[in-house]
Amino acid sequence: MADVETQERLEARFEAEALPLLPGLYSAAFRLTRNAADAEDLVQETFLRAYRGFAQFEEGTNIKAWLYRILTNTFINTYRKKQREPRTISDEEIEDWYLYSKMAEAGAEPSAETSVIESLPDEDVQEALSALPDQFRIAVLLADVEGFSYKEIAEITDVPIGTVMSRLHRGRKALEKRLWDVVRERGLVRD
Amino acid sequence: MSEISCEEVLREIEHYLHGELDPISSARLAAHLETCTPCLDRAEFQRKLKEIVRAKCRSEAPDHVIVRIRHAIHLERESRNRSQPP
Repeated sequence: MADVETQERLEARFEAEALPLLPGLYSAAFRLTRNAADAEDLVQETFLRAYRGFAQFEEGTNIKAWLYRILTNTFINTYRKKQREPRTISDEEIEDWYLYSKMAEAGAEPSAETSVIESLPDEDVQEALSALPDQFRIAVLLADVEGFSYKEIAEITDVPIGTVMSRLHRGRKALEKRLWDVVRERGLVRD
Repeated sequence: MSEISCEEVLREIEHYLHGELDPISSARLAAHLETCTPCLDRAEFQRKLKEIVRAKCRSEAPDHVIVRIRHAIHLERESRNRSQPP
């Protein structure tokens, strides 16, 4: 009887705590897999794994981080295998303030610099993020789109905080370079 | 409160904007930005860029996905209940 109650309570907690996070996880899954069909499969697999393992989740700890951890692990271990890694950025060092400097060189007023980026279709920015290598993409996605702290990202991705900071820094610069390429390809700035 | 250089501010700005600096460093950096336009321009650029990426990279989950996942969990529960009767 006690077991049944525990099971019922677990089910209720899963319903109340895990399921409301589904929309955010779907969005992240889409950025990872780059297509709707794989995103659906990935987020379903994530929730099934979470459901099966929910008894191991320590109540009162960070459920959002726990779910994103399952999501990123499932992505790396299963979906990544059947997909090609996106075109990786070259090893060339991208200087700090890359996009800011390029915009300034192109003659944009400081106040107008971000409005050029803002005028891009959402898909362009999503593709720019999706084009980053996994480690960078995951770091930028978790920090800048999902709003996780460095410490949470370290837990989700199982790396030290220093590594998180370095991946974020490089990932953000690589994203800036991609965005600059898009802005230029679209003729939104003069070269 | 001791002053910090522009160089240091620009190096830390990424952490500052992500709310990762301790309160003292954060206040020192904010004080610098209040009086230094070149640093403030860069900080604002970076802050807005982050906001734009966040806003543009969120996708709505279609309703059928939510229905599908609830159904998958339902099936999982059924099969577990069958294999482990209470």
